[in-house]
Amino acid sequence: MMNWSVLGEKQPVATKMLQNSIQKNRIAHAYLFHGPRGTGKREASLLFAMRYFCERPQENEEPCGECVACKRIQSGNHPDVHWIKPDGQSIKKEQIEFLQKEFTYSSFESDSKIYIVEKADKMTVNAANRLLKFLEEPSRRTLAILLTEQVDALLDTILSRCQRIHFYPLAQEAYLKQLREEGLSEANARLASALQFDLTEAKELQSDEWFANSRKIVVQLMDRIVQSNEESYIYFHQTWMQHFDGRVQHEKGLDLLLVWLKDLVYLHLDEKEQLVFIDQLDRLEQQQAHLPLQRIKAAIYEVLQTKRRLAMNVHPTLAMEQLILKMER
Amino acid sequence: MSKGRVIFHVDMNSFYASVEIAERPELKGKPVAIAGAPEKRKGIIVTSSYEARAKGVKTTMPLWKAYELCPNLIALQPNFEKYREASSKMFSILYEVSPIVQPVSIDEGYLDVTDHNFGMNGIKLAEWLQDKIYQELNLPCSIGIAPNKFLAKMASDMKKPMGITVLRKREIQQKLWVLPIGEMYGVGDRTEEKLQKLGIQTIGDLANHDVVALKQLLGINGERLHTRANGHDNRPVDPDAIYEFKSIGNSRTLPHDTTDQLEIDSLLDQLAEKVSARLRYKDVVSENIQIMIRYHDRKTVTRSRQLRDFVEKKDEVFMIAKMLFDEHWNGEPIRLLGITAQDLVPKHELSKQLDLFTYQEEAEKEKLYQTVEDMKEKYGNDVFIQPKEKTRPNLSTSFQKDFLNDFKKDKRED
Amino acid sequence: MKLIIERNQLMNSIQHVMKAISSRPTIAILSGIKLEAQQNFVKLTGSDSDITIESTIPREEDGMINIHDVQPGTVILQAKFVSEIVRKLPGDQVEIESDDELNVTIRSAAAEFKLNGQDAEEYPQPAILTTDNQFEIQADVLKNLIRQTNFAVSTQETRPILTGVHFILEDGVFELVATDSHRLASRKINLNSDAESVSFRNIVVPGKSLSELNKILDDHQEKVFVSVSDNQILFKTANVNFHSRLLDGNYPETSRLIPEQSKTTVSIKSRELMQTIDRASLLAQDNRNNIVKLATMPNQLQITSHSPEIGTAEEKVDTMSIEGEDLKISFNAKYMIDALRAIDSEEIEIAFTGAMRPFILRPQNEEESILQLITPVRTY
Repeated sequence: MMNWSVLGEKQPVATKMLQNSIQKNRIAHAYLFHGPRGTGKREASLLFAMRYFCERPQENEEPCGECVACKRIQSGNHPDVHWIKPDGQSIKKEQIEFLQKEFTYSSFESDSKIYIVEKADKMTVNAANRLLKFLEEPSRRTLAILLTEQVDALLDTILSRCQRIHFYPLAQEAYLKQLREEGLSEANARLASALQFDLTEAKELQSDEWFANSRKIVVQLMDRIVQSNEESYIYFHQTWMQHFDGRVQHEKGLDLLLVWLKDLVYLHLDEKEQLVFIDQLDRLEQQQAHLPLQRIKAAIYEVLQTKRRLAMNVHPTLAMEQLILKMER
Repeated sequence: MSKGRVIFHVDMNSFYASVEIAERPELKGKPVAIAGAPEKRKGIIVTSSYEARAKGVKTTMPLWKAYELCPNLIALQPNFEKYREASSKMFSILYEVSPIVQPVSIDEGYLDVTDHNFGMNGIKLAEWLQDKIYQELNLPCSIGIAPNKFLAKMASDMKKPMGITVLRKREIQQKLWVLPIGEMYGVGDRTEEKLQKLGIQTIGDLANHDVVALKQLLGINGERLHTRANGHDNRPVDPDAIYEFKSIGNSRTLPHDTTDQLEIDSLLDQLAEKVSARLRYKDVVSENIQIMIRYHDRKTVTRSRQLRDFVEKKDEVFMIAKMLFDEHWNGEPIRLLGITAQDLVPKHELSKQLDLFTYQEEAEKEKLYQTVEDMKEKYGNDVFIQPKEKTRPNLSTSFQKDFLNDFKKDKRED
Repeated sequence: MKLIIERNQLMNSIQHVMKAISSRPTIAILSGIKLEAQQNFVKLTGSDSDITIESTIPREEDGMINIHDVQPGTVILQAKFVSEIVRKLPGDQVEIESDDELNVTIRSAAAEFKLNGQDAEEYPQPAILTTDNQFEIQADVLKNLIRQTNFAVSTQETRPILTGVHFILEDGVFELVATDSHRLASRKINLNSDAESVSFRNIVVPGKSLSELNKILDDHQEKVFVSVSDNQILFKTANVNFHSRLLDGNYPETSRLIPEQSKTTVSIKSRELMQTIDRASLLAQDNRNNIVKLATMPNQLQITSHSPEIGTAEEKVDTMSIEGEDLKISFNAKYMIDALRAIDSEEIEIAFTGAMRPFILRPQNEEESILQLITPVRTY
């Protein structure tokens, strides 16, 4: 079962801060748990809610996990703990209406309520403001935990009202070790870690044919770019565009390309132990011989620009064509 | 409708740009664009001359991009007062031909010339009209001639600028049906997409498609489009259509896409001010406020709220618009914002349910109301005429219908 | 758990608790009915988290045995299915059995159903209210109090606190107040002396909950025990417990809104006024606020209404007395009719303080402490 001490191995700082705030009875009205996927934000909010309502709290602020409160929080049946998750692109109108109604009603069992909002960046400004404004009314024993991977997407008015708890990306070595133990190949383990996949995604990677092909295409595209005979443009249209479909897939392709380019940088810096595409050492070395560090850096910059353009809804074909042309130079 | 109607659709060619060129002949033949904030490269193209269009300049394109396509582009600031004046003159000429004129917007209108042809046939009359507008105002237009409004509208689009196109019912197979479905008046992007899923590529495909399936897909509009595609449209040219205004709206494109709350609030504030001024000018109040948000990717949403009380004051309009905005903005960069007051009621038909918590405000005026009431009883309803703002609100946006409305009122009083 | 129970009693109870169960529950477990079997009773619970209804079937009632053969235990059953099943079972008795794995078997005559139960621990537990803050009231009296006030709650969410009825109990006087900010309804009664130890001021019960409660309460003189806590109110009858969550927030001070003096006072037969207003409102229905106008005449009231498209209505109605200044006032006919209905008295007194100020309706004989207040409509 998840508890603070297990979470503490992954997130020592965040865990300590939360334990302290409970211990010293200094629980804030609102917390913002921010950090990349798979860093334990949900687990932490679950533990926090359990401890908050637990009937038999244990040492070190651990919830017992056994009492009716703990059990129902885990099964989602506690009437005073509300989980709000975006349904698709944003948190939907009915969800906001539900929230608003909840705000006007007293709590059900206890004298307090907890709202946990996943992907809080998907909340409309209005919804977030209402939630927080509500929390600020001092008479209420109500707590909100907002979770987000994109802390920059939240408004200052919201940030300033929350106590922020940072969930750091998992320590790489520990994670790699875990992935190897899960039976991933060394190359895949490194790739999964470099792409910040969580454990579930990483395990899928091992048997994901589409992903294996993507990898191949990225390497082959780079081969053609290095050769500078303008074949890359044709390859892009004949192969890349056939394989990658839609913005999300293109972004995945670009992420792979970035990892590859970083590998080239590591080679230049003679830091082979950092390589991700460890099984492609020959290829990398061949390309490194043709590409000066300056050009790789420029390429990395262009890939990042392309990602930005895609995010702004520039048509993938256009954005990618532009990238290929710039990289060929 | 009796058969054998002759309807004109008069469509001014790139109207704003043409008005500018008419005023400054040295611009003739040059690529001219009307753009918001032309001194900044961030402005957006409102309209452009055919010379500019030929280079790929398009409406709503940012100015810097237009310059890339057309480096010698001449960008001018819009002067709506001037366009309104030109429009007013243009409609006066239309009235000289026939009293049955239905203005549709600042630069287009329908005419029913069935009984007002001066003994000329349609084409001759159209040539005369086109020439007159060009001679007197130096403005180009295209005219569509057809037995109904829909076909006339489609016809005026077929040849630009300075075109005259006749579209007879028997010609629809060869002239109309060959056009891609997206070109049909009344078919927007969304509808086009839906129709294409049914395999409908041309207007002809639509005309020959099963009407039940269309009705299922698009409801009543599906049936309507099918009828039109077959060349039928029995709507009369209605000179009074413009009077039935049900809403007053203002919108504005931002000089650049923004997520800045201050900037957004200040724009909402300005729009509320405009809408409120126009409500007062028309002596109406609104029971429904709608906002429009257009995002950087042109995705557009409108959201409205039915109100419990009537509003007219700027602060009230702003507050509701802001609430709607906060509720529905998805946080992405915004290109355009609009506020529309709907469900308008003339003030004299109005009553207000007092509020228990705030009635004091009204109660303090009780004596005054009582006096007014008594005097009305003694001397009749006209003793008090509410002082109205003398100044006309500054209509700076593209909501031209109010203006046309005013124009027509003036006309009637003549 | 195991029990054999009379099907009619069980069905009756299920129907009670189904009233609280939502077709779209906020938490999954609330799609279930909680069934608790004890030696002396069986208790069913249904809840949508706003209201919770518990229905108890005693082992023996009026000399009839309802429950036979009990092994105590508790289980959660899918409400939708169990209600349908019990309704259609063939026998007069139902046997319900649950094993340690929460497999539930329902038998009746030759029919047998196997259902998956859920762990009763997952079910919410409405706070147990102590009897300290408890007072008693007759069911029919309580129903009437609710009927006379609950119609005036707001249905708008703009001021959520106004969607509830304000309950006040002080010095043995129990008062209910509701307002949607256009009209206000208030009703007071004296409770018997044992209620004097109980007092509360800021209890606001959701109007929706009270509507449900009124459907459940019987019209006879059964006793209802009412107890409150910070977040719950409980109405307890012999076999049914009705819990409701409360509205959170401060109810506005309404006593200061009620005018103390009047400038015009009218005494009139309630029925005649109501019928006149009702007729006049026929033409008022298409104007927005359903407006009728009232004007004082010597010993009469003139009621008029006007619709620009349809026409006008005018009627004079006799009063018993008119005192004070002349007055013309416009108001929403529906509010007036609602208020007259709520007062339900033969003769009423209307106290006006001016055309732009709220006016008050009271029964002529002051025995019943009921007050209805209406704010007028301003016409331009």
